[in-house]
Amino acid sequence: MKPIRMRAQRPGSPGVATVQALFSKGWKKARGFFQALGKSAGTFPSLGNAAFVWLACGSLAAGAAEAPDVAALRAEVRGLGWLVFAARSAAGDYDLFLCRPDGSALRNLTQTPDANEAYPLFSRDGTRLLYRRLARTETINGNDYGTQGRLCLARADGAGAQTLGGDGEFPWASWSPDGRQLLCLAPQGFQIVDLASRKVVRTLPRAGFFQQPTWSPDGRAIVGVANAFGESWSIGRMDMAGGAASAVHVQDCCTPDWFPDSAHIIFSWRPAGQTLNKGYGWTQLWRKAAKGGPAQLVLAEEGRHIYGGHVSPDGRYVICTGNMQEDGDPAHSGAPMSLMRLCDAPLIIGANAALRTIHPAAKSGPVLALPVGWEPCWTLHELPAGGGGAKP
Amino acid sequence: MRVMYALSVVLLTGACSDLARSPAHAGADAQVQTLGTVEVTARLVEVPEGAIFKRDLYDYATILKYEVVTVHRGALKQGAVIYVGQYNPWKPRAAAADRKAPNLGGNARQFHAGRLQRLALATPLDDFFMGGLVDKYFGRRAGPAYWAVWTNDAD
Repeated sequence: MKPIRMRAQRPGSPGVATVQALFSKGWKKARGFFQALGKSAGTFPSLGNAAFVWLACGSLAAGAAEAPDVAALRAEVRGLGWLVFAARSAAGDYDLFLCRPDGSALRNLTQTPDANEAYPLFSRDGTRLLYRRLARTETINGNDYGTQGRLCLARADGAGAQTLGGDGEFPWASWSPDGRQLLCLAPQGFQIVDLASRKVVRTLPRAGFFQQPTWSPDGRAIVGVANAFGESWSIGRMDMAGGAASAVHVQDCCTPDWFPDSAHIIFSWRPAGQTLNKGYGWTQLWRKAAKGGPAQLVLAEEGRHIYGGHVSPDGRYVICTGNMQEDGDPAHSGAPMSLMRLCDAPLIIGANAALRTIHPAAKSGPVLALPVGWEPCWTLHELPAGGGGAKP
Repeated sequence: MRVMYALSVVLLTGACSDLARSPAHAGADAQVQTLGTVEVTARLVEVPEGAIFKRDLYDYATILKYEVVTVHRGALKQGAVIYVGQYNPWKPRAAAADRKAPNLGGNARQFHAGRLQRLALATPLDDFFMGGLVDKYFGRRAGPAYWAVWTNDAD
């Protein structure tokens, strides 16, 4: 199979009509249909998954009917840079993909059927890309992906890729604000690595942080997931000047990321006391001031956990992913990403009467359904057309 | 003569078995006696509600509370209460080790309150494990948390 490509669909053709009908019943049914199609064709389910992405985007490009407010949002974000994300390719491996924020212009950046790529991060200026490359046989782990495989560095369009170090080196590497350094998190503590020399230039105590660290855009703090602030997964903030760490939010929360103002974070949280999902509840997207204050609901959806929240560089939108599995399902086929305006928050998708009682002002949309993807990242930087094929 | 030999073997075997069951030797094996920096026989005081759960998508360690019965190695004292991180506690110890927490093991299969276990421990936990921690004693315990490297049943 060739990489996923956009293909023009004739309005009214059977394929488009099928996708339109399936969209009206929800993405899960639609994806299930195409997965079944893949299985019945004797291929692996990802073939069906890829077909779903391809036809879904094709149908939208062909002008499939959607709610006016969703269509307006789609048009509003179309020209606002690019998203990069990991997704299962038609060959069954995980590759990196680019698309416009409205889901259009989807293209495969890495095209490596013998490897999996994950955890792409644009530098703050949008010119370069960090990601991890794993052996095809290694399953991406929703909690350890920042330590798996080798760190790769490429231009933002995937060109000029090179590996940095060996397997497991530069764990959880993410960008410094100026793109000259990397923030890494190892059992021994945080490490600041000079990108040019690959030398550790500074260390900070780990203080219980264990995954998903991110350096604030102003360079003054780190947020990450920690086990030092409560009974289970918590979000912590570490001051870069003195290394002081404090809790941002505790109990069953993860995947934190900064707002561009460096004062607020977006994160996932599964509040206790939910009655849905056999009492386990669903993980929701929240925002909060990094130095404390009340948490505010951004997005909740009945029927899926929401993870990987990432705020657009202009601070006006948020993208996220997640599904019925707790980790965004990178070990399987993945799930569609979503995009919404932050000014529309809080949003609740689905009836969820209990949650609407707590958040009576919550809206129901608009939310864009984007291609299947995991851990998306957004840049406003304009990338050259074509490109890709990042193979160090 | 053959009868005497057989009787000797039976007696010797029994003696060895008694030795293995004696408090000083119960649960002893080469790993528990050499790994980590602390080796104790300790009684699991309790298993708090929600401390152990099976969730395939999460690898985690849980903090369990033990009372030290016998100190084999290290500076702990008999009767001390210690808090020990057990990795993926829903798995038998022999199946718990993985890429994230290598070199763990033991013959303990489950964790039940009141059970006596022989533990090879390392400390501090943060030096050996970077991952999710379920700590039902958070804010209520003092001192370092230990990392369970090897756990044998010693009942």
